[in-house]
Amino acid sequence: MAAAASTKPHKMKSKKVFSDYVISVLIFVIMLVVSVTTLYPFLNALALSLNEAQDTTRGGITIYPRVFTLQSYKGIFTNPDIWHAYLITILRTVIGTVGGLLVTGSMAFALSRKSLVGRRFYSIFCLIPMYFGGGLIPTYIVTRSLGLVNNFWVYIIPSLVNIWNMILMRSYFSGVPDALEESARIDGANYFTVFFKIFWPVSTPIIATIALYFGVQHWNDWYVATIYMTSREDLKPMTCVLLRIINEAAYAERMAAQGMSAAAIGQAGMGRKMVSARSITMATLIVSIIPIIVIYPFLQRYFIKGIMIGSIKG
Amino acid sequence: MRLKNSSAEAAIQPTVKKPNAFVRFIQQWDLQLLVLPGIILLFIFSYVPIYGIIMAFQDFKLGDTLGMSEWVGLKWFIQLFTSPDLFGIVRNTLVISLLKLTIGFICPIVFAVFLNELRVAPVKKTVQTLSYLPHFISWTVTATLLFDLLGSEGALTQLLVSLHILKQPVNFFQKGEWFWGLATISNIWKELGWDAIIYVSAIAGIDVEMYEAADIDGATRLQKMWHITVKSIKPTIILLLIMNVGGVLNANFDQIMMLTRQMTNAALTPYAQVIDTYSYRMGIALMRFSYGTAVGLIKSIINFFLLLTANKIADKAGETALL
Repeated sequence: MAAAASTKPHKMKSKKVFSDYVISVLIFVIMLVVSVTTLYPFLNALALSLNEAQDTTRGGITIYPRVFTLQSYKGIFTNPDIWHAYLITILRTVIGTVGGLLVTGSMAFALSRKSLVGRRFYSIFCLIPMYFGGGLIPTYIVTRSLGLVNNFWVYIIPSLVNIWNMILMRSYFSGVPDALEESARIDGANYFTVFFKIFWPVSTPIIATIALYFGVQHWNDWYVATIYMTSREDLKPMTCVLLRIINEAAYAERMAAQGMSAAAIGQAGMGRKMVSARSITMATLIVSIIPIIVIYPFLQRYFIKGIMIGSIKG
Repeated sequence: MRLKNSSAEAAIQPTVKKPNAFVRFIQQWDLQLLVLPGIILLFIFSYVPIYGIIMAFQDFKLGDTLGMSEWVGLKWFIQLFTSPDLFGIVRNTLVISLLKLTIGFICPIVFAVFLNELRVAPVKKTVQTLSYLPHFISWTVTATLLFDLLGSEGALTQLLVSLHILKQPVNFFQKGEWFWGLATISNIWKELGWDAIIYVSAIAGIDVEMYEAADIDGATRLQKMWHITVKSIKPTIILLLIMNVGGVLNANFDQIMMLTRQMTNAALTPYAQVIDTYSYRMGIALMRFSYGTAVGLIKSIINFFLLLTANKIADKAGETALL
């Protein structure tokens, strides 16, 4: 509600001076630049994905398709590789998010209880890795020796605990009135019941925020897939497939640059592929970002709150 | 086993002595069981790797038990410090990090302060929602968009040419010396709105009366923005600066790998190779595990001391420290 208060224009009693006009122009310019630079690349990608590939090579596509076609999307939806990768991404996002919420959430809940024996020890145990870590290679070796390389569970298990998310959730749970817990405990409820039946339902804002964090982390992950999924193409997520398509397009372009004229490319088999590569890339890109674009605006009021909780607690 | 929670009991009968820790531990087995999975995972994936740093002083080969390899002393560190690669990666890491810590840090503040001056609520809301968008998009996608915009025929390149900022079309990804700027700006593009959220929220908490009082005193808009808005969110700014200093050397692995086409773009590599990517290349791609660990350790140590220093400074400045 405080937000609403400050959006209320404060009355200008003094007369406008020159700098006020400069500021007004600046506000307009900054907001315009931010909006346009944010929106344009996405609209351009959308337009390219919907435009006929041959026509695209003439250039000049901005934010709407000139010769409309769904050819690229047909190409994607009939490509089993892309479908498969999409499925992997969805699967790991769902499992990773639910698992992360359960493990990180129950840890956060327990650490928010003052009666927890060893609370101080556990808190320090969680804090140290935020300041000092083993680094990339030792982590890789440990993960490898657990048999997680080229294994689907490498996406899930190491990221079940996220300390930062744990701290955010813990602050939220600490703010839930103790009376809720005490009355349930007196009625004989154990802590599982207290957590899942009492705390969980009253914590929608923080759960939505953390679900979004986990979800986005899994959806966008390329790092884990690259390092640990070295020989299992069938387990690679969407980001890797998108990258492969981009790199193939770049390769085709390089081939073109090495002496082949536009006409020659058009005649060669490579040409057809190169021509449509850009459209396919953009269509893949659009398909891979649609779920996030659809979901995040609805979770906005939650994650703003979530960030505030984090900042207060440091 | 139906025993009451110790704290509840203590509250009811303060004279009763608290049972000792072990008894309470057994009594609250269910609560302990909720912490356990997280602690085990942290132990495996955070603490065992810390122990694994020992590799940096050994000659680790695949198949060795962690920590049981042959000791080689400071061999890898000597190799690193005499390596011709060292200067480049340290320079790139520092430059990219510092650009992010300065320009990349100020932009969200400026954006938040100006956003607050937008008087039309729906417009403000729309711009803000829009500004978060890139944060949720992966670097893979971001790089794809950038390749398209900043290639020699890209829309942005064309625009710069028509504005006479560029003399002729160039492919931004073939200009190594532009990479630092590219990394900074693309990072700002991606995180501007997201990083601004916290300032926007802090600004929302400022007392409106302060602005009204300033109006009566005849303050200009600029004066109010500086003396009220910016000064009021100063604690938030300092807090975030400290937090950013701690992570300053984490020069975004994903971003750099994507923008350089996984380090295959030879024009960019001399300006783009940072500690993280170097550690990855040496340790995983070339399987020089011990050397890669040594590289990573240097980074962890510098990071740790940066964080401690930042905390000290914050203490002196009278702000809440993180440790």
